[in-house]
Amino acid sequence: MPIKRILIANRGEIACRIQRTARRLGLETIAVYHFTDRHAPHVSEADSAIELQAEIPTAAYLDIQQLLAAAHAMGADAIHPGYGFLAENAGFAAAVEAAGLRFIGPQPKVIELMGDKLRARDFAASRGIPVAPSCTQEGSMDAFIAAASTIGFPLLIKAAAGGGGKGMSIVHSADELANRAALATSEAQRYFADGRIYAERYIERPRHIEVQVLGDGTGNVVHLFERECSVQRRFQKIIEESPAPNLPRALRDEICSAAVELSSAALYRNAGTVEFILAPDGAFYFLEMNTRLQVEHPVTEFVTGMDLVEAQLRVANGEALWLTQEVIRQTGHAIECRVCAELPALDFRPATGTVRVLHVPEAPYLRFESGIREGLPITAAFDSMLAKLVCYGDDRAEAISRIKSALDATVLLGVDSNLEYLSAIFAHPAFVAGDLHTGFIVQHAASLAPLPLDAAMRASVLIAAALGNDDFRRMVDIIPEPHASIGYWRN
Amino acid sequence: MSRIRSNLNTGSSEFRQNYAANLARIASFKERQDAARHIRPPRDIERLKKQGKMLPRERLERLLDPGTPFLELSSLAANMAYEGEAPGASCITGIGMISGREVVIHADDSSIKGGAWYPLTVKKIIRCLDIAIENRLPVVHLCDSAGGFLPLQSELFPDKQMAGRIFRNQSILSKMNVKQLSLVFGHCTAGGAYIPGLSDYAVIVRGTGAVFLAGPPLVKAATGEVVTVDELGGCDLHTQVSGTCDYPADSESHAIALGREIVAQWAHSPKWALQREAVEAPYYPADELYGIVPDDIKRSFDMREIIARLVDGSRFHEYQPAYGTTLICGYANLWGYKIGILANNGVLFNDSALKGAHFIELCNQNETPLVFLQNITGYMVGKEYEARGITKDGAKMIMAQSCSRVPKFTVMCHGSFGAGNYGMCGRAYDARFLFSWPNHQIGVMGGEQAARTLAEVKMRQLEREGKGQDAALVDSVYQETLKAYQEQLSAYYATSNLWDDGILDPVDTRNALGVAISASLNAPLEPSGYGVFRF
Amino acid sequence: MAVILTLDGETTTVEILGRKPQLRCSVEDRYYVVYETPAETDGGGWITVNGVRHRIWRIQEGERVHLKIGNRIFSVGITDPIDAARQTTRSGEIRADMPGVIVALSCEPGSNVRAGEALLTLESMKMQITLNAPRDGIVSTVHVAINQAFQKGALLVALEPEKESSPS
Repeated sequence: MPIKRILIANRGEIACRIQRTARRLGLETIAVYHFTDRHAPHVSEADSAIELQAEIPTAAYLDIQQLLAAAHAMGADAIHPGYGFLAENAGFAAAVEAAGLRFIGPQPKVIELMGDKLRARDFAASRGIPVAPSCTQEGSMDAFIAAASTIGFPLLIKAAAGGGGKGMSIVHSADELANRAALATSEAQRYFADGRIYAERYIERPRHIEVQVLGDGTGNVVHLFERECSVQRRFQKIIEESPAPNLPRALRDEICSAAVELSSAALYRNAGTVEFILAPDGAFYFLEMNTRLQVEHPVTEFVTGMDLVEAQLRVANGEALWLTQEVIRQTGHAIECRVCAELPALDFRPATGTVRVLHVPEAPYLRFESGIREGLPITAAFDSMLAKLVCYGDDRAEAISRIKSALDATVLLGVDSNLEYLSAIFAHPAFVAGDLHTGFIVQHAASLAPLPLDAAMRASVLIAAALGNDDFRRMVDIIPEPHASIGYWRN
Repeated sequence: MSRIRSNLNTGSSEFRQNYAANLARIASFKERQDAARHIRPPRDIERLKKQGKMLPRERLERLLDPGTPFLELSSLAANMAYEGEAPGASCITGIGMISGREVVIHADDSSIKGGAWYPLTVKKIIRCLDIAIENRLPVVHLCDSAGGFLPLQSELFPDKQMAGRIFRNQSILSKMNVKQLSLVFGHCTAGGAYIPGLSDYAVIVRGTGAVFLAGPPLVKAATGEVVTVDELGGCDLHTQVSGTCDYPADSESHAIALGREIVAQWAHSPKWALQREAVEAPYYPADELYGIVPDDIKRSFDMREIIARLVDGSRFHEYQPAYGTTLICGYANLWGYKIGILANNGVLFNDSALKGAHFIELCNQNETPLVFLQNITGYMVGKEYEARGITKDGAKMIMAQSCSRVPKFTVMCHGSFGAGNYGMCGRAYDARFLFSWPNHQIGVMGGEQAARTLAEVKMRQLEREGKGQDAALVDSVYQETLKAYQEQLSAYYATSNLWDDGILDPVDTRNALGVAISASLNAPLEPSGYGVFRF
Repeated sequence: MAVILTLDGETTTVEILGRKPQLRCSVEDRYYVVYETPAETDGGGWITVNGVRHRIWRIQEGERVHLKIGNRIFSVGITDPIDAARQTTRSGEIRADMPGVIVALSCEPGSNVRAGEALLTLESMKMQITLNAPRDGIVSTVHVAINQAFQKGALLVALEPEKESSPS
């Protein structure tokens, strides 16, 4: 029986994104939400919605029992986990299947394999896919430190169980190693309930290249080409594009083949992403595999013309892979940027507020994917990403020019965001030249900072703001004639 | 309406001489005005600063809507009284705008003898409250006065138009639904206590504001009770216990901000919808007025040249242009308001008096406010004119004018002598506002005529007494009379005694009339009695 | 009367100098001629300041105005003139408006309370009334106990004195 009613175990833009494809395919969607999200678009746009109870909002979306009960109560036949929350939780996937529902994602075993960074690495290495020199904390911290020191500095330390930059740090010399390792352990413990950490050779000026794959669970896997995700802040991507600029075709093909090889070996089912670190010398290393839909999947959809959510649904329905690598084409160029509620000037500190004005330009080459609307409060309870802006162009220059114009035309008032900052990146000569690496933002921090306001501009801002204040506006407008025309006058 | 074609020769020596003389006159006026407003004993300024008080004009500027006009009234009141001890009669009055509402302001000037009320202070306050009554304008009182100036109590307390009239007027205003707000910055003692007491809204500043019928010294003298100012009538007492004041304010700024917000709550009363056209600046520059007005009170000039520099686009629809030509009558717009103008262009003859009476009737029929531009030596005298009924015709003009229902405004552009003052809406005729130019002179007759008349009387007296002719004595009578008269004829003497609502620099006349006409429209128009008589 | 605005932590006033034929304002003693072209269909508009025209989007939210001017986004604080002028310390004495009995106490000496937070509940004339903290502060003394009766004007709870705020 093909899937008919999908419970989306997520919120925000990705829940809305999944609903869009489901609607197009004539499938029903069921939203879940925490009380704080009761006015959010992902709730109002779903066919039906059910509230989850939790003290802490995020906990609602992580509550497997409640999600299964909701799915049962609403008559769902499948669960789409989106990204984040339970998307890469093998236990959840297993519980969903045990409850007789379809899990729109990989097999629990594959999730488990790829979720353990160390096992995943070993698995990749065993298939001949290059991995960076590394070591894992298996016993005492002292043994780990000794082993890590032999890899050579700089080193990257991260949580063995996690992703998303949590618990990650770069260690430049042996002196700092012990301290940083201790810190990483405690963060890993806090975020992932697994204190084990892992060290690998840190590559200077590395690029983050990832490959979109699609498998049907029988070893049939195709790739949908690469994405460049090197522009990051706090180890989190903020700009992604496809194809990767300045990447020789042969090297590109080599990386894509490695991704297919790995996924095929794992009998991967679902859309997935294999991430690599690319060194300036052309060497690349397997980083990890994300066994879910990626935030930045729209860039791939733009250049391949595919709907990845639809593809997920088809393989989840048990359909065998319906296309071969040869028919998949990468055409033109797509760029995505993540609009976040944050203060770039204050080290990207998250910001809160209420969306008061939201105006987004419309164009056939543009996708603005968000889970927000005017009037929606933005709290610190969830991730700071508000929306994604994605633009397509015939070539990279056109895509950049379009996304910059679109950003400049986007109006988001009421909550501080990185809109201006993103626009500055797209205007930056190094970005335009495609001279990218994961330290891009740190390297160009000074030239990306906004210019200070000159006196005239500052005055314009203040006057414009004053005129936006009801009391001031009234003071301007309330004066009748002839007094307004006479103006200030003393006899 | 066609534009007045000016015949003024701005290149003539007469124009230049007039211009220079008037500039000097204006400089002297501004100097006097500046002194009256700002020159104070440093001791008094220090005292106010020490109390954390603003100067009254600072309060005013912060209270009024920014970028709006303030028509100050009688800025030189009392300038020739009390040996100059009460500049501006120790208070500021005027028409201004607060939160978009036209209001009358009355502000005690505590930088002069603690804001004590002199007789002319009382007269000035009563006048501003009369203006509020006549024009239905809300009043904001900025209270900071030590009370009546006791040495002159007999001139300010007992009579009908004295201090009690202030409180009577306040009561009448409230009865008319015209709001009043008091901001109590300093002391309101004795009668002064009734100003906030009779205001519909009252704000009092903690620490400096106080309201009581008798201050602590008088209380001690009367009953032996020892009490502090704050205990007796301070902010907390009146806002928490007695309820005499409504809003406590932490500071003068706070009181002003509260005051602005209180006025903002007042419903906009509908104004009389006088027809208004788009505003057009006068075609001829206002400063040319200086070149028109002669330095000599006896020199005549064409009043059309004045009109051309006051009204919108210098456009004027002249009524009966060929009849009674010594009185110019016609319609014009001023700041977009349709007005009817009566302007003297010579002595009033029978025909000019009849024309004036008729035009006043037309304006009443047409609901058009009247503006009188005075430069008048009187109605024509002599056998022929009496025979033609000049008194009767003058009476018609006075009757028509007195009984007008439309608002009237008078500007003393030059001389105002004799009964012409009556027909042309002098002070006694309830012009809503009456302003003078600094060159203005006023009297029952001209100075020279008066001196000659008195010299004549002296001569006849000497003859009667058989003392023969004493040319030197007669001449000294003439000279002394002339001198005394000149002083009393001057615009400064007139304004000192509040015979007008203040002296204006001629170039300010257009703005002053704009504010005044706008203010007058707050009062509804009474129904008319008779139709128009063609005399 | 001027409006007090805060941008990037700096406080400035904008004053109206005139309205016709165009709005004239002063900011830091410089004069600016301003006019706005009304919003078109998309809700934005234009503002021209001394001849320089900017695209503008704007919204007021409480005492802030958020605006996008050109490609830049700002959030400007606007101080209410009455709040700006208010300067005295607010009393921390909570007194009884009428006689009654205490039925509940929600604070104790040392409690850190926010303005509006309940301090105690009293009963008077068959009505239960909760008294709230008039301002943020620390409770210094609780003068009453549960079931204790009190007379009008009795001091019930005292907050520690507030630090003198500077007049603006």
